[in-house]
Amino acid sequence: MNEQALITDAQGGNLDAFNTLILHYQDSVFNTALRILGDEDQAADASQEAFISAFKSISSFRGGSFKGWLMRTVTNACYDELRRQKRRPTTPLEPDTEDGEEMDSPRWLADPNMTPDQKAEADEVEHAIQHCLNNLPLEFKTVVVMADIQGMDYTEVAASIRVPLGTIKSRLARARLRLRECLQGFAELLPASYRLEDGINVS
Amino acid sequence: MNQRDLELLSAYLDGQLKPSESAHLESRLNSDPQLASVLTDLRATRNLLRKLPARKAPRNFTLTRKMVGQNPPLPRAYPWFRFASALATLLLFFSFGVNTVGRQMTSQAPVFGMGGGGGASEDSTELFSAQEAPAAAPAAATEAPAETEAPILEMAPMPTQMSTEAADAARIVDTPVAKNAGETENAVAEDQFQSPAPLVPSTWQIALAAIAIGGALFMGLVRQISARRWK
Repeated sequence: MNEQALITDAQGGNLDAFNTLILHYQDSVFNTALRILGDEDQAADASQEAFISAFKSISSFRGGSFKGWLMRTVTNACYDELRRQKRRPTTPLEPDTEDGEEMDSPRWLADPNMTPDQKAEADEVEHAIQHCLNNLPLEFKTVVVMADIQGMDYTEVAASIRVPLGTIKSRLARARLRLRECLQGFAELLPASYRLEDGINVS
Repeated sequence: MNQRDLELLSAYLDGQLKPSESAHLESRLNSDPQLASVLTDLRATRNLLRKLPARKAPRNFTLTRKMVGQNPPLPRAYPWFRFASALATLLLFFSFGVNTVGRQMTSQAPVFGMGGGGGASEDSTELFSAQEAPAAAPAAATEAPAETEAPILEMAPMPTQMSTEAADAARIVDTPVAKNAGETENAVAEDQFQSPAPLVPSTWQIALAAIAIGGALFMGLVRQISARRWK
């Protein structure tokens, strides 16, 4: 895929070229939205909105990391979605278990070779991480999702969300610390190799 | 442990420290087990996040032209048709307005004409008759050359009825009873009141309406054809 040629064509209004770019990046965009919003349906809606918005404003893309530019678009779409939720809070329609607790839909479907036990364990770990991500402040969550989940480097993240590099370093460190503290509560779920030690006190 | 150390450890994990900073931190890590423990925790946290499975998009997010509000390309002549149709519509409404105002003025003409014997309305009537029915004037003039009121009688305002009125006027002049100028004026004014002539001929209005409607239909057809070809 010649990304630059497709971008140039898309900037000229070629929708087919832009759709080729969408097919290449849609999983990354959806994953980013999913980790920020914590809900598949909302993440799908935000992703769609992000791509529509990206096509309409692609003429403003002046080079650099296209993925970073797309990530900025999708995080903005997620912020819009969160603002909408704040204005109109909704009650989830997920069914309850017999004990009255909310039933979670299986989230870990990536590896078809997993045994049912492995899937259940992986589902629980993913759920725990998502729970901790949901508890992060939005600006921390955005940075940690881009850097640690999407694998973007500091410069790319800084350019994407337009904050100084020092702020990225600070937010990422604090986000990792908060996640670490939160995940302590799920210690029994975590694989032995990921077990965390107790007692970081940051002044 | 302070915030600065935390940021240093986090950046060190990602290889974002300068070589001198890294060397200094590494020497501290060797001598400070608590710092090393924090680094281990941060690494484990980062690894957990990195191991999160990448979820596949539940559907393709490819865009349609409708979603992005793209319209099919239209022929180059399309804007001209749009302009002509809009202008024709505007002129059509304008012509209705002009005719309405003209009719009102014509219906008021006898009132002014009776008093002054040559007011503005008479002047305007004369103007229209002179422009729109020049052929009728000589006929009336030849039939009543001696009459002083003949020019007034020739001021038949309605172009479509011009020849009839001119003939009527001539007959009135020839009739001895109608030699009174005031009566003649009244006869003309009544004629005007009964069948006021439109200032803009109806044929023009029909033509404008045809252009407006035809243009709109043509534009609709062109858009449909373009949309069909575009798909």
